[in-house]
Amino acid sequence: MLRVHEFSIAEGLAAQVLANAPAGAHVRDVEIRIGALRGLEPEALLMCWDSVTFGTPLAGATLQIDQRPWSIRCSQCGREWTSPVPFVSCQCGNATPVPSGGDELDLVAISIDEEET
Amino acid sequence: MSEQIRTVRLPVMRRVLEANDDIAAATRVELARRHIFAIDLMGAPGSGKTALLEATLRALAGRRRAAVLVGDLATRRDGDRLARYCDRVVQISTGEGCHLEAAQVRDALAQLDLDGVDILFIENVGNLICPVGFDLGQAAKVGLFSLTEGDDKAAKHPYFVTAADLLLLNKIDLAPHLSFDRAGFETDVRLLNPSVPILDISATTGEGFDSWLAWLDNSAAAAST
Ligand SMILES: Nc1nc2c(ncn2[C@@H]2O[C@H](COP(=O)(O)OP(=O)(O)OP(=O)(O)O)[C@@H](O)[C@H]2O)c(=O)[nH]1
Ligand SMILES: [Mg+2]
Ligand SMILES: [Zn+2]
Repeated sequence: MLRVHEFSIAEGLAAQVLANAPAGAHVRDVEIRIGALRGLEPEALLMCWDSVTFGTPLAGATLQIDQRPWSIRCSQCGREWTSPVPFVSCQCGNATPVPSGGDELDLVAISIDEEET
Repeated sequence: MSEQIRTVRLPVMRRVLEANDDIAAATRVELARRHIFAIDLMGAPGSGKTALLEATLRALAGRRRAAVLVGDLATRRDGDRLARYCDRVVQISTGEGCHLEAAQVRDALAQLDLDGVDILFIENVGNLICPVGFDLGQAAKVGLFSLTEGDDKAAKHPYFVTAADLLLLNKIDLAPHLSFDRAGFETDVRLLNPSVPILDISATTGEGFDSWLAWLDNSAAAAST
């Protein structure tokens, strides 16, 4: 089986989470943001995250994925909207509106458990 | 109850692939210091990456000194093919990895004699998706499409198109045998990347090589100053 690149990204993410969590903290949630250009499969990333964190201190941490949509702009009527896919027609009839998307792949935040006494 | 658990949200905002990007940045600095123009050559399996490099190395012989890193899943075949035209070739076996990463390139470069090298070619693993998001420290990403893949591949791989500094359309010698919509292909590319140059080439017949070699020469000359 060929490793999907979501696996490398999950490994990078786990390292980045550990580097940014206070030592020994129990990480409950991990929030990431993915630009439309990245074309990452959230399902694949979730599976890889589970497999990369299995048996590690990050096991059980929930991965929350904010998948950004494409921005579409119609050069004929000026309409702007967002879409999960880049190539779409405009309601004005223009078959080639311009898609644009970001290539961000960011660890946005982590949530940790803190014990109060 | 003496203890309660409270969940605290800590904002981070850092790139997931920061570690890879940092290694790539160091490689980029080192290659620039040595005035080496480095290309990350990306393309689908069988699009003709190795064939393009074979023909390019032949054409550059005596004019520019080249070095090659070639990523391959399991074999040494591409490395052996290229070693016939270049004495500085390092094969990177990626095993099950679907793309090259910056650390593999850094480690492979450590095995190469880079003295006097003008151009470094890095043949990435055959794949239109995975290699795009991993910075290797290259100066330019060259995306290779080929006629036999079909005219819809630019539209289906937007990141490949937006990330490319140059797009090559290979196997143009086969045009008479295929129904490749060349204009439609270009429309898709232009919607995603209005400025990237597109060169039609054939690694087999050498068609279009004047433009490709001129682009290489100009880029290598710019890197050498
Ligand atoms: N007709 C024609 N065939 C070509 C051309 N370029 C490459 N080929 C053929 O396409 C096949 C694949 O070429 P390779 O150079 O091995 O492709 P590659 O992209 O390096 O493949 P991987 O490294 O396996 O991803 C070979 O049979 C080549 O001879 C071309 O311009 N025209
Ligand atoms: Mg090859
Ligand atoms: Zn419109």
